[in-house]
Amino acid sequence: MNQVRLLFKMWSIQVRSQMQYRFSFWMDILSTMVLNGSYFLAIALVLERFENITGWTLGEVAFLAGMSELAFGTMDMLFSGYDPDQFSILVRLGRLDQYLVRPVNINLQLFGSKFMLRRLGRMFEGAAILVISFALTSIHWTLWKVIYLPIVFLSLVLSFGSLFVAGATLIFWTVQPIEAVNILTYGGNETITYPMTIYPDWLRKILTYVIPFIFLNYYPALYFLDKPDPFGMPSFAPFLAPAIAVIMLFLSFRFWNFGLTHYSSTGS
Amino acid sequence: MRAFWQVVKIAIRQQLTYRTAIVAGLVTNLFFGLLRAALYIALMDNQGTVNQMTANSAVNYAALTQALISFLTVFGSFDLMKEVYSGGIGSDLLKPMSLYRYWMGKDLGKSLINLLLRGVLLLIAFNIFYPVELPTRVDLWLLLIPALILAWLNSFAWRFLVNLASFWTPDAIGIGRLAFGVSQFLSGFIMPLRFFPDWFHQLTLLTPFPSMVNAPVEIYLGLLDLPQILQVLGLQLAWFIGLTALAHFVMRRGIRRLVVQGG
Repeated sequence: MNQVRLLFKMWSIQVRSQMQYRFSFWMDILSTMVLNGSYFLAIALVLERFENITGWTLGEVAFLAGMSELAFGTMDMLFSGYDPDQFSILVRLGRLDQYLVRPVNINLQLFGSKFMLRRLGRMFEGAAILVISFALTSIHWTLWKVIYLPIVFLSLVLSFGSLFVAGATLIFWTVQPIEAVNILTYGGNETITYPMTIYPDWLRKILTYVIPFIFLNYYPALYFLDKPDPFGMPSFAPFLAPAIAVIMLFLSFRFWNFGLTHYSSTGS
Repeated sequence: MRAFWQVVKIAIRQQLTYRTAIVAGLVTNLFFGLLRAALYIALMDNQGTVNQMTANSAVNYAALTQALISFLTVFGSFDLMKEVYSGGIGSDLLKPMSLYRYWMGKDLGKSLINLLLRGVLLLIAFNIFYPVELPTRVDLWLLLIPALILAWLNSFAWRFLVNLASFWTPDAIGIGRLAFGVSQFLSGFIMPLRFFPDWFHQLTLLTPFPSMVNAPVEIYLGLLDLPQILQVLGLQLAWFIGLTALAHFVMRRGIRRLVVQGG
């Protein structure tokens, strides 16, 4: 309980400090919305010409994009301490050593160290796209769908978070952030904002069996939008998201703990 | 002029020390290139041609825009701002050349290496997945060179102008993110401009941004005939003159009010 109070204390300090620069804060929110929203805007504009993308209408694509952006923004706010680019600076400058000698759990400190309020911009953007989706599609809501929607959202947040944790763990060995990790995190996010039908077979196989992103957003979307499954997966496929998220989170923290025992300071 | 080339030479040498980082970045560019290619193909979905663009040229469009990212610094640069905020700008201003030309030299050196290492290597790597086509007509190659140079000049003038905001406000980084987000979108980097509805396509052509990415790519892909190419080059030149003049005007006013603290 003490730990939770400490975490909230750390967050509230950061919120207060980040709100000191009001103009800069709102500028950041606005620029994040424009920057990330422009990808969806581009799709929305070209669909005026093409009408649909492999049978998916604008409202249906908006469901994929909205869920993914909202979840990624939320994750980016909570897991920024593990953001490989940020974490690399921590290791390079030897600041991680300071964290390690404090009598508080390292993960608690990392979660508390960077609470990026400006990520709200991406969350607003994702939420707005999701609202557009609800307006353009007529989802047949059932009780189970209402319950399952936040579960899918949470699964996406935790899965993206696991990738940040795993990416940060690699820094223990490499010190420098590895560019290719961005493919999994930012690339993964963009990949699942489009229907899986657009990808060549080999890429979809990777997204099914290696990094099972397909079950996190695409299959849940098929369920919510009552669309048929073109790949003939078992009928429970839309409900795998929470299980995959838990497994990814478990594995990434196992990897993290393993990496931490192998950490040797840069000595700076 | 000799001092300028000296700056370019130093920048080339500096950039060459990051060889491994450049090659590592290729993987990311390649992935996003393939992602865009899949998206464009799916959008066109056997439509034949869209505004003279075939599925094949759309795939090549994806490859070329990724190949040009670091040559044209599509995502924007914040180096000058940081120099202003750190006070390092003081020593830049002591140099026996204009601030604009000094930064241009640095940018040129970096961009040239990026064009050769990152650009060419990306096209070679992309070719493993989809056939990358080269312009078959000699005149296209000849006209592509001024188009690329003008695209870079426009991109540099725009980025320099945005960075000048740091002379007035401590929040220039936020302004920069917003400005570069807009230029990325309107330059044709995210989506071929020809895919947009005609009204929006025409709207983008009223801005300087298509001169930065879309123009050389369309020339490369052979989407324009000779009179159209000359028109595009003329437009690029006009924007270059306009943006450079504006950047110089703003720069002079900025320097006059600049106060360097410490540094």
